[in-house]
Amino acid sequence: MSEAGEIAELSETIISAGLRVADEVEVYLAEGSSVSAELKRDIIGEAGASDAWALGIRTIKDGKIGISSTSNPRKWRQCLDAAVASTILATPQEWNGLPGPADLKRKMDVFDSEIEIDISVVCELISGMLEGAKEHTVDVAGGSAGLSTGRVTLANSSSLLYTREKTGVGISLETISGTSTGYEFDNSCFIKDVDPEEVGRQAAFLAAHSVGGTDIQSGAYDVILSPLSVSQLIGAVLLPALNGRNVKAGRSFFADKLGEKCMDEKFSLYDDPFSGPGSTTWDAEGVPTKRLDFVKNGVLECFSYDLKTACRYGEKSTGSAVRGGAGGSPSIGVHNLYIDGPRSDIADERALYTHSLIGAHTANAITGDFSVELSNASWMEGGSYGEPIRSGMLSGNVFEMVDNIGGMSHESRTIGSIILPSVRFNNLQIIGK
Amino acid sequence: MEEPKYYDIRHVAGISTHIDIDNSVVESAGSSFFDTAVIRVLGQKGWGVLTVDNFGEKSRAETDGFIQEALKFAAVTEEPVELADAPGGILPVPVMKEDPGDVSLGEKCELLLSIEAAARKPGIMNTRARYSESSGTVCFTDSGGNEYSYEMVRSGYSVVAVARKNGTMQMGRESEHTISGLNLRHKEVKGSLAAERAIKLLDALPAKGGRMNAVLDQELAGVFAHEAIGHASEGDLVKEGVSVIKDKIGEKIGDGCLTVVDDPTMPEFGFMPVDAEGVAVHRTEIIRSGVLVNYLHNRQTLAAVGNGVAGHARAVSGDVPLVRMSNTFIENGDSTMDEIIECCRDGILLKGSRGGQVDPGRGVFQFNAEYGYIIKNGELKEMVRDVSLSGDILSTLHNIVMCADDRKMTPGYCGKGGQSVPVTDGAPHVLLKDAVIGGQGV
Repeated sequence: MSEAGEIAELSETIISAGLRVADEVEVYLAEGSSVSAELKRDIIGEAGASDAWALGIRTIKDGKIGISSTSNPRKWRQCLDAAVASTILATPQEWNGLPGPADLKRKMDVFDSEIEIDISVVCELISGMLEGAKEHTVDVAGGSAGLSTGRVTLANSSSLLYTREKTGVGISLETISGTSTGYEFDNSCFIKDVDPEEVGRQAAFLAAHSVGGTDIQSGAYDVILSPLSVSQLIGAVLLPALNGRNVKAGRSFFADKLGEKCMDEKFSLYDDPFSGPGSTTWDAEGVPTKRLDFVKNGVLECFSYDLKTACRYGEKSTGSAVRGGAGGSPSIGVHNLYIDGPRSDIADERALYTHSLIGAHTANAITGDFSVELSNASWMEGGSYGEPIRSGMLSGNVFEMVDNIGGMSHESRTIGSIILPSVRFNNLQIIGK
Repeated sequence: MEEPKYYDIRHVAGISTHIDIDNSVVESAGSSFFDTAVIRVLGQKGWGVLTVDNFGEKSRAETDGFIQEALKFAAVTEEPVELADAPGGILPVPVMKEDPGDVSLGEKCELLLSIEAAARKPGIMNTRARYSESSGTVCFTDSGGNEYSYEMVRSGYSVVAVARKNGTMQMGRESEHTISGLNLRHKEVKGSLAAERAIKLLDALPAKGGRMNAVLDQELAGVFAHEAIGHASEGDLVKEGVSVIKDKIGEKIGDGCLTVVDDPTMPEFGFMPVDAEGVAVHRTEIIRSGVLVNYLHNRQTLAAVGNGVAGHARAVSGDVPLVRMSNTFIENGDSTMDEIIECCRDGILLKGSRGGQVDPGRGVFQFNAEYGYIIKNGELKEMVRDVSLSGDILSTLHNIVMCADDRKMTPGYCGKGGQSVPVTDGAPHVLLKDAVIGGQGV
């Protein structure tokens, strides 16, 4: 990676060149390197490394926002010109300026100095998963492990200059036994927080346990959705509905429900930008982040905004801007989304448990309606797995489901940037035999 | 210095352009630049892979250095790799009717605005339109002296309308993507269609779930060909043992009316002039008259598995080639759509697609139609919404018992291994007996 000084210098050069033609300039620089390896069945078939560098420039002129990006540091001028050209077409809007520097004292822990970007460490992670998978009689079909380190720098013409360094470790394993499949994964900023043997064991358990599944009759059942299943539906339906841009544009289910109780009082949903893998004190536009309580005990309390949407509709940015990479425009997202509520032993009474869902992305984001196929489904009772279920389709409506929660498990799990428990829903419709 | 057994370099550089319009406001319109190469090297065993930005500026000496570095990664691999011989060759890229590069961003913006405006009808709360264009040069070289390069422009748009009445909302969507040049002119009708569908859906009933006969329209039957058959025929999945149709070559796995093809040579959105390993592309029949005849392969999976041809490797900029589909379709049959509806008797007609997913190892798929119509006594009746279809591949293939003669291709994108590539799916109307339909209606 470049020296911090070089980056600051390049940002300053771009900003001063941009200010000759624009009112404001913002520079977002992402650098990173990673190593990874891929399993083909149970042996490593591919290993490699990647270095990436990306620059995103935004310029603002008379309330018109332009954007461009490039992967070439020497072509920053071409990128700046494209950003300026892009302002010409944008519709002008209310704009109160880019943020200046804030006194952000809190230190976020997303960098692991123990992580070495070394392929031998990746190979150890893979060996650990394969060791764990031996606990059950299944075939390993594939898997991967990777380590990454990166730095993002945000600078703007209001004298703001922030940098954040972040590390990442990711592992996954895929297994099969006959036509019964299993998949498990884990990601963290810290290498000590991932347990390759447990991921291997769990991937193998899922395939092994699903062997010989029995059919289920169509009907209404009590269903426990795993953290993964809940995150798939929340990500497809609930998150877009809390996005301030969708709310103001008239395509959110929650648009006119602020302050109303529209979910179960046992359901709370908040973004805590200070605890979890997406932790940061400043968002992708440099606005200081803060905790956002979207839903408190079932009552809808707020939506999320970035600067652009907030200015246009007379709201305040909630520090919710995120970027997929330097190449993308800032958009409204979450840093660490928590689903919370009273915890209990939700698997005591017999219920259908599903580890994952096939096709959750086909849920209707506007209405919340979905019907998806179960994956690694099983009966559960007395807190333990019972008979596996061969196949079945789960139908429901996400907005109705969160208004009628059966309970939440004691333990939570991190899936991407969502931290959540298993959730029990009573009386959901299953289409089976 | 260790010599690699084989290496190849795939360098992709170009410009991507986007326009995003929301409720008649131009949220964003502009261009960005990309330039990345992937260097793959075979050592004594498996692959070493290096991703390098701004490869166009690198010298020969630097390239040799990258190859050596990639070899160090190859050294930790243990899988022995053989590459099947496969003929190289490149097809001409179809000539565009109107090169989007010749049209100013301002004019494209105006054209998109008029499509979006056409969706703004009474009852519509929100309209949104997006345009994307990717114009790039792909350069391929390998250690055997093969060299290919081509330029391609892919572009397209989508328009979404959200209708609202008495607190309920529904959405209608239309999109078109192409390699045949700018497709934004005179498309206002697509905006109207999206709006009209959204408004109609407000009064549609939720579909009732259960087992029933289903007629799939051309778009959804195309998604079926892609999800339920195409993925399971990918040679890498077969090689790694996660395809439910492994070891089934020569077996009758479907009804005699069913022929399924993947054809990267067709001038559709999934077209490629040469594959990502420099191999010439071919039309490949996966299922012929119900019998599994070929898998889709790259050079490595062809050597390992056999039964098929290489030429199906694809990669996005900055990523390694994987075995992928291109233009995948069910061949025409000899029935008409009316005959199919009549033979269905009582069931459901499923139209449009909101996407799908498959677990090819388990052999289970799910996909979602945008809307549908109840079929009663061989006639189309009321409209229904939010209707899904799931099933297991092997039994479902025997249940496609009629194909119409009205095949249509629909462009879209397909995700695998974190890479999203342009594809086209197609089919005629088909009759699927005893389908598992998901819906909330009772």
